[in-house]
Amino acid sequence: MRAGVEDVTALEVKHLSYRYPDGTEALRDVSFTVAEGEKVGLIGPNGAGKSTLFLHLNGLLPEHAAASPVIHIFGIPVAEPHLPAIRAQVGLLFQDPDDQLFCPTVGEDVAFGPQQLGLGGAELIARVARTLEQVGLRGFEQRPPFHLSRGEKRRVCLAGLLACEARILILDEPTSDLDPRGRRELKALLRDLPVTQLVATHDLELVVEVCPRVIVLDRGAIVAEGGTADILSDESKMVQHGLEKPHILRHTHPH
Amino acid sequence: MGAVLFAVSTVLLPRSAWAGYIAGGVVLILIAGLSRIPPLYLAKRLLSLEPFVLGVALLSLFQANGLGVFLAMLVKSTLCLFCMVVLSGTTTMSELLAVLTRLRVPGLLVTTLALTYRYLFLLVDEMERMRRARRSRTFIRRRFHAWRSLATIIAQLLVRTSERAERVYAAMCARGWKT
Amino acid sequence: MHIPDGFLNAKAAAATGVLATAGLGMALRHVRRTLPARRVPLIGLASAFVFAAQMLNFPVAGGTSGHLIGAVLATVLLGPSAAVLVLSSVLILQCFLFADGGVTALGANIFNMAIVAPGVGYGVYILVRRMAGEGLRGLLFATAFAAWCSTVAASIACAGQLALSGTVAWGVAFPAMANIHMLIGVGEALITTLVVAALYRARPELLPDRLPSRPQPRYGELAAYGLLVAIGLAVFVAPFACGWPDGLEKVAVALGFESRAAMKPLVPSPLPDYAVPGVNSAVLSTVLAGCMGTLAAFASAYLLARFLTPHKTPPNGLEPGGNSLRA
Repeated sequence: MRAGVEDVTALEVKHLSYRYPDGTEALRDVSFTVAEGEKVGLIGPNGAGKSTLFLHLNGLLPEHAAASPVIHIFGIPVAEPHLPAIRAQVGLLFQDPDDQLFCPTVGEDVAFGPQQLGLGGAELIARVARTLEQVGLRGFEQRPPFHLSRGEKRRVCLAGLLACEARILILDEPTSDLDPRGRRELKALLRDLPVTQLVATHDLELVVEVCPRVIVLDRGAIVAEGGTADILSDESKMVQHGLEKPHILRHTHPH
Repeated sequence: MGAVLFAVSTVLLPRSAWAGYIAGGVVLILIAGLSRIPPLYLAKRLLSLEPFVLGVALLSLFQANGLGVFLAMLVKSTLCLFCMVVLSGTTTMSELLAVLTRLRVPGLLVTTLALTYRYLFLLVDEMERMRRARRSRTFIRRRFHAWRSLATIIAQLLVRTSERAERVYAAMCARGWKT
Repeated sequence: MHIPDGFLNAKAAAATGVLATAGLGMALRHVRRTLPARRVPLIGLASAFVFAAQMLNFPVAGGTSGHLIGAVLATVLLGPSAAVLVLSSVLILQCFLFADGGVTALGANIFNMAIVAPGVGYGVYILVRRMAGEGLRGLLFATAFAAWCSTVAASIACAGQLALSGTVAWGVAFPAMANIHMLIGVGEALITTLVVAALYRARPELLPDRLPSRPQPRYGELAAYGLLVAIGLAVFVAPFACGWPDGLEKVAVALGFESRAAMKPLVPSPLPDYAVPGVNSAVLSTVLAGCMGTLAAFASAYLLARFLTPHKTPPNGLEPGGNSLRA
C-alpha cells in the first residue's frame, strides 16, 4: 500500500448484482475498491462474470438505470447524466481489438476519443502521435487496421484510451491471443504506465508481474482478495476456483 | 487529387469524338506513370472482364450502327476504368471520406462507408475461413446441400456481424461517441 | 449487374443520378429519424456483410454464375430505408475502391440495385405476407417471391437504361436481361430464403417479425420508394413498352443510317437483318415468358416455404397465436 498522502479512491463498487435478461445471475453482491495508482488483477474461471462487471464500470450495463448507483469512479456515480464524464475517465479495453478499432486508419481511431471530447487541430495530431509513441507504435497513423498483428491492434486500442487521458484503465484479457513477444511487450507497457489499472486476465504471470493486489471472482461473487503472492500461492484455493498456481511462483527464489 | 480525377472521369463519358479519346488516354497514361502503380497490376485490372459487361457489350452489336456503338463503348469504358483504377490505387479511403465530408455528404452515410470499409476485409476473411472449414468437412456433393451450406455460412456470418455490431456500438459509446 | 462507364449516355446517367440521389436522400433522412443510435453501427456492418455476400457466386444455367444482390435480405432484416442505405454504401465502395461499376453509372447502379430492388422487394414482401399470413411459412414464401421479383425488376430497369442510351436495342436488352435474371433470381430467392430460415431457427430475435413490438409495414416508405420506382419505369421502360417510341426508333434508325454512312463500312453489323425493334417477337415472347415465369416463381416460392417449414411445432413453442398454457 502507498504511504503518505491520503489515497484517492479511483473505483468503488458496492453490492453490485446483475441478472441477464434470461434470468441467469451474472454478479452477486460484488464489492471492492481500487485506490488511485493501484494496479489490481481480476482473475477467475471463464464465465465468472468479469466481462459483465466491466461493462458496468462505464455504464454500458445495466440496460436500464438502477435505482441508486452502486459504482463510483473518482467519486462520480456511474449513472446518467454523468456518463459522458465517466467515459472520459474510464478507459475500457475490450477483449477483441477488432471491436474497438473501428476506424479506417490507426490515426483516426486513436483520435476518435479526444475528438469526441472536443479536441482538434494540431493539438489532436500531436496527442495522437504522442500516445502512439507511448505504446511503441510511432508513425502508424496511416496504417489500416486489417494488416496489423493482434498485439499491434491491442496497442492501438490502448493508445486510443491513453489519448482520452483516462484516469483508470480497465483491461479485459489484454494478453490473450498474443505471441510471447507481444505478451512481453504488453506486460512491460502496463507495468510502466503509472495509470490506475484493473486487469481481468487468465494470464497469471501477467498478474504476478504487474498487479500487487488481486481479486478472485467465481460465479459472479468475490471469493478472495488480497496480495497477489499470497492468494496465488494458495494452491488448493486456486484449483478450487478453476485456476492454478502459476509456474512463476512455483519456482520463486526469495529475493 | 482524388477529386480532380473524379471530375475528369465524368467528363470523359459523354463524348463520341475519337480525338478526345486519344487525348484522354495520353493524360491517363501520364498520370498512371506518375502514380507509381505497378503496370502489371494496371494491365490486369483493365483486362479482367465481368461476364455481364462482356454480355452487354456483345449485345450492343445487334442493332443499327452496332459496331460503332460497340467500339465507342469499349474505348470509353476502358478509359474510365483506367481512370478509376488509378484513383483507387492512389487515394486512400480516408482521403475519399474527407472529400465526401467536404462535399457535405450526410454524416450517416460517411460513417456507414467508413465502417463498411473497415470491416469489409475482416468479414471476407471470416467468410473464407468458414468456407474452408466447411469444405474440409464435406464429403457428399449433392447440389441442394451445397446451396444449404452456402446459406448456413451466410447466416452464420450475419449472426456474427450483428453481434459484432453490438460490440462496436459498445466500444463507440465507451469512447464517448456522440450520435 | 454493375454497369460500367461508357455504357450509358449522358441523359440516362443524369436521370438515374437524380433518381438515385432522391432515393438515397429519402432513405438517409428516414433512417436518421427512426433508427435508434444502438443500431447505427449495424448499418455499416451490414453493408460490409452484403459486400462480402455479393462476392459469393452460385451456378446458374450452363456454366454461368450469378451473384447475390442481397436487397431483399437487407430489407427483411433492416427495413426498406436501411436497406437502401446499405446497398448504396456497397455500390459506392465497389465503384470507388474496386472500380466495379462506373462512376457515371453509379446513379444507375444505385437506382437499380439499391432502390428498385429493395423497393419492389419490400412491396411484394408485404403483399405476400398479408396474403400468406403469419408464421414461418408466410415469411419464407414472401421472402422467396420478393427476392425473385426484386432481381427481375432491377434487371428490367437496367435494360431500359441501356436501351435509352442506345447501347443495346430494347428488343435485345429486355429479353436478354429479363430472361437471364429470371434464372439468377431463382438463386437469389433460394439463398435469401434459406438464410432467413436458418436465422429463424438459430437467432429468431434478429428477424424484426419476431420482436415483441413488431413494426407495422411502413406504407409511407413503401409509397415513397414505389413512386421513385414508378418514375424510373416511366422513364426507362415505358417508352419501349408502349407504342410512343416508334417515333423515337425511327429517329434512331435515321441517325444510325446517317452515321453508318459516315463511317467506313468495314464490318457490317453482325445481324443486318435484325429489325430495329419497337414491339417485335423477341420482346413479346419475353413478356409472355415473364408472366409464366412469375407464376412459376410464385408457385415455387410457396413450395419452397412449405418444404422448409417443419411439420411439427418447434420445441420452443414460437408458433404465433398458440397458447402454450394449459389449464
